[in-house]
Amino acid sequence: MKNRFKPLATGLLAAAVAVAACAPAGAPAPNADDAGEAQIVASSGFVCPAADPKVEVTSTELNLFVWTEYIPQDMLECFEKVYGVTVNREEFSSNEELGAKLDAGGAVYDLVQPTDYYVPVLIRKGQLQKLDKSRLSILEGLDPNYMDLSFDPGNEYTLPYQAGTDAIIVNTAAVANVPTSWADLWKPEYVDAGRMVFLDDSRVTIGLTLLTLGYDVNTTDEAQLEEAKNRLLELVPGIKLWDSDSPKSALIAGDVDLGMTWTGEAFLAQREVPEIEYVYPSEGALFWQDNYAIPVDAPHVDAAYAWLNYTYQGDVFWLMLRDFPYTNPNKAALDYAATAEFEVLDIDGNPSTPKAIYEAYMGSPITNVPQDAFANAVRIEDVGDATALYDRIWTEIKGGE
Amino acid sequence: MAIEQPALRVDAPPRTRWQGILLALPVTLLMTVLLVVPLLIIGVNSFAQRGPDNAIIYNFSLNNYLRLLGIAEPGTWDTLYIEILIRSLWLALQSTILVILVGYPLAYFIARAPRRQRNFWLFLVLVPLWTNFVIRVYAWIMILRNQGVLNSLLGWFAGLFGLPFTPLDLYPSDLAVLICMVYEFLPFMILPMFTSLEKIDDSLYEAAADLGANAWHTFWRVTFPLSLPGIVAGTILVFIPVMGTFIVSDILGGRQVILVGNLIQRQFLDARDPVFGSAATIVLMVLTLAVTLYYTRKFGFAEEAFGR
Repeated sequence: MKNRFKPLATGLLAAAVAVAACAPAGAPAPNADDAGEAQIVASSGFVCPAADPKVEVTSTELNLFVWTEYIPQDMLECFEKVYGVTVNREEFSSNEELGAKLDAGGAVYDLVQPTDYYVPVLIRKGQLQKLDKSRLSILEGLDPNYMDLSFDPGNEYTLPYQAGTDAIIVNTAAVANVPTSWADLWKPEYVDAGRMVFLDDSRVTIGLTLLTLGYDVNTTDEAQLEEAKNRLLELVPGIKLWDSDSPKSALIAGDVDLGMTWTGEAFLAQREVPEIEYVYPSEGALFWQDNYAIPVDAPHVDAAYAWLNYTYQGDVFWLMLRDFPYTNPNKAALDYAATAEFEVLDIDGNPSTPKAIYEAYMGSPITNVPQDAFANAVRIEDVGDATALYDRIWTEIKGGE
Repeated sequence: MAIEQPALRVDAPPRTRWQGILLALPVTLLMTVLLVVPLLIIGVNSFAQRGPDNAIIYNFSLNNYLRLLGIAEPGTWDTLYIEILIRSLWLALQSTILVILVGYPLAYFIARAPRRQRNFWLFLVLVPLWTNFVIRVYAWIMILRNQGVLNSLLGWFAGLFGLPFTPLDLYPSDLAVLICMVYEFLPFMILPMFTSLEKIDDSLYEAAADLGANAWHTFWRVTFPLSLPGIVAGTILVFIPVMGTFIVSDILGGRQVILVGNLIQRQFLDARDPVFGSAATIVLMVLTLAVTLYYTRKFGFAEEAFGR
């Protein structure tokens, strides 16, 4: 639902960005040597890197269907200006929503961002087209750890975009005992307080409940799922807010005190309120990876390849570190940011450098997941026909009060 | 009535009928394509079956309706969806009554204001509608949240008198949903009420006074009965949308308050069960229609309140 109204919010945001841009933003050119050429500059003052290589594009539009709050404004504007293509962005807040919109058809979207477990569903239903690797110049920059995974062997259909975890988040200023496992969240002290925030996401929420019962996070066993449903119903009174758009807002504002969220939200929440901690639960955090894919009926395939080639360039993709600090599968971006020392504004509008932003990324256990937490993490996978069972249980959990 | 008027026939050429049809054509087409056809599709789908990977299988049965009633599995009665329906009805009822209670004095005030001021007051009632519905709902988060406008103000007042103050836990909550519903739909009640109240002839009040009625009597025996058509029209304009809306409960209820509108919306997106969602849609429509019909039969349909 949310995404239908997101364009409004995005519009407001864009207006705010435009206003902010009027301030004397200090963002000198990263490459001052081509002073002869007219520089392409985003509205924030960020100097757009050149496309290397610049591919042939005849489309004048590109329709993105992406997760909420997931594309840096500078990245979007730079692509528009460098390629002269208008980018239309629509946003979703669950894979299920993405699937429903693709089912509705209409050959609308050029690029979508399914999460790992949802990729096989889209492939099975024939909704994605195979990537033409000869048209992608950025493959070498990608970290092999995020490639060739079981959900898309050989990356025939997808490219990794961002990865991260779902784990426990807690405001230690408001909560005396910090939970260390998913099961801890069921403790009366948290349930009775009723101040938890959870992702409004069926697979994740049911999945972590299965973990507390010692079951496989991808079980298709009806009895186990029924048990998980009943256990989750015990937790529901403690949940004040289900939010998959921006759970950090309520945490920062003090509306909720703890719960579960994902990497980027935790990183940004902690920046705002240092007492907020991100805890990798002992049963294992949920590890996920979002990916780009091109729908089979995409109307602007050339623009889609241009977008992938341009935005995955290290000097463009590093913007993700700045704006959406998740675990970054693009080595080229990390390498670029590690050494780039020109001045940019960070996400709070303070002067910084890509190098400083890179160091904050590497130094945070939220983005740079510790080895043991990484090894302990579990992945959600496609469960095929059992999806209907999950959906049904989810409706039953969310319907009660 | 039955008297032939040949002169008129000459004045109205035979093409009038065609003009009428032509004039009605755009709306008729629009309604057919955007309302009737989709409704038919939803009606058919509501009897279909969900297939693997949420395809729709046209294998007709009453299963979706049985699931809604909670009797899909023999021998058990699952009241989940019936509870959701009752919860929605109850909220719509509460909202409508509160809107009447809040709106009536205001409508009365505007209707009795000097003629030149009325437009100004009506203008003020309508101003909030210039802002998008959803943005107004989001604004309530800012007002009601833990460190929001309301709690800051209350805290400040408490501070003035040296009283202890714990911020009210208003967002997200059922109460927040109710407050926002009342706020959102208030103008739709005030306008028809105003139309009814404004039409009451001043001489009626004079007559009531002449006959010795006090203010209380005048209100209950003159003003209120004559404003009833406005209340009836306003009730319909408020009750039906509150019954079906899902945005307010989604945003201010923390996705915790599930009304029938949320149930339906979730079936089409998150739960990917459009056939069940279709059945719920049909049930909601039938239910709303039944309540509205009963209500208008009982209180009379308020056509004049719509501004005749």
